[in-house]
Amino acid sequence: MRGPPAASGAASAFRAWVGFALLVAAQFGVRPLFGGRASVDFLVIAILFAAVRIRPGFAALLGFAAGLAIDALAPTTFGAATLVLTCIAFGASWTKAVFFADHIALTGLFVFVGKWVFDAGYVLIGGGAKGVDLVVQLILWSPLSAALTAAVAVLLLTAFRPLYRPQAV
Amino acid sequence: MPRRMRDAVSTALRSTVLSPLVLLETRASTVRAAITSRNDVLIARGRVATDALTANAVADENATLRRLMGLSSRLRDGFVASEIIPTRGIEDDFTLTLNVGTTAGVLPFSPVVMADGLVGMVQTVDANTSFAITWAHPDFRVSAMSVNESAFGIVQPHLGSGAERWLLELRGVKFAAKLDTGTLIVSSGLGATYPRGIPVGTVLGEIATPEKWARTYLLKPSVLPAAIGPVLVLLPQRATRGVNGVWTNLAAADSAARAIAAAGDSLARKAALDELSARRAALDSASASASASGAGGDSAAVAAPITRADSVRADSVRRARAAARLDTTRRPPTVPPAVPPRTGPPPGGAL
Repeated sequence: MRGPPAASGAASAFRAWVGFALLVAAQFGVRPLFGGRASVDFLVIAILFAAVRIRPGFAALLGFAAGLAIDALAPTTFGAATLVLTCIAFGASWTKAVFFADHIALTGLFVFVGKWVFDAGYVLIGGGAKGVDLVVQLILWSPLSAALTAAVAVLLLTAFRPLYRPQAV
Repeated sequence: MPRRMRDAVSTALRSTVLSPLVLLETRASTVRAAITSRNDVLIARGRVATDALTANAVADENATLRRLMGLSSRLRDGFVASEIIPTRGIEDDFTLTLNVGTTAGVLPFSPVVMADGLVGMVQTVDANTSFAITWAHPDFRVSAMSVNESAFGIVQPHLGSGAERWLLELRGVKFAAKLDTGTLIVSSGLGATYPRGIPVGTVLGEIATPEKWARTYLLKPSVLPAAIGPVLVLLPQRATRGVNGVWTNLAAADSAARAIAAAGDSLARKAALDELSARRAALDSASASASASGAGGDSAAVAAPITRADSVRADSVRRARAAARLDTTRRPPTVPPAVPPRTGPPPGGAL
């Protein structure tokens, strides 16, 4: 009886990639609609949701591609997003066993930490802010952005459970 | 990574695999800009609309003032320009509060006019303000006539309902005087208030009244209520002196057109009469020659009085042109027929 599980796994993988594509599209199509310094990062959600389903190496490659896309659109900090997102994707995939990913609150915390780490690494490596601005960015805007991103992630996980239900690919 | 290579990689990515995402981000940014600027756009649109309305109002006011200045230049003297003070009262629709009074020479019963024609009459005067009734006031009356002086009557407000309340009536017109639609009605100068020749209204049509011995016409006022703005108050000496020539452009144009039409009618009538007289003369001469030939007389002496129509036509044309050139608003003085002194017992028992 290996037929049905294989088919179920393929369907789950297809849904996961559809969800990933939708989140990438939302990053470029929905995020610009909202202004402000604390904004939802759909790309981080997509990477984290995908990373818990795939192996660490593949997750690192996915993070590298996503980071490269971000850097291509922000050439002044080229490489920062690539490096940070690669590390986050690898780490998320490696630590997926730590979190009970089907738990909503843990998923929210997972996204919150991931987004905060991404912002911190991006700001520190990219060198966009210094001094007080750097502190404000790290302890105010980044947590706000991470909280907002985590809230949206929880909302997505609740509303679109078939797309973002954690399951190994 | 060197900057050149970094830029090359970024450009290559943006122009290839990331181009749809770049396009999506650009459109989303445009949408956000449109959303955020919508309030500003609405404010700017409202401001433009307000400015446009103000510009129209200013243009209308300029046109009114220009026409009023033209009227002032034609009147030359004997008037006071006045602004209307907005008031709130029971009879706001029918009364005007003017910012001139006795210190400016305004007296009760002074006519209030505009470039379009008659507005009303000053009723009450204070030192610096005065109150005037408009033509829509129930107490308003003015003796008026048609510009060709074929009909005389009294103009008063048409006390109808709705929009007809803002029309006038020309009452008491003799039954023989039939006015066409569009005929200009001006003040006749009879009475001591309004000088002769101020446009009052134009005929809209005849209305039926219980008075079967006189006609009543509905008039469209020359000065519409919405057009009442700055006005001129004619001072008593100017009203006494008359306003001949002030509104004559309008009246003279109408009277000139009617005079030309009347001249054309008189020419045709004259030609027909000439032809008739020529035929009659020819018949008479034929009968005379027949009788003369029978009697052996000279027929040429009898045929000589025959008048050709062409010979009188030139004269009639000249006379018609001269008649058309005359200002028909000025009526030639009519001399009342001499009444022979009555003799004998007074009438009374004859009926």
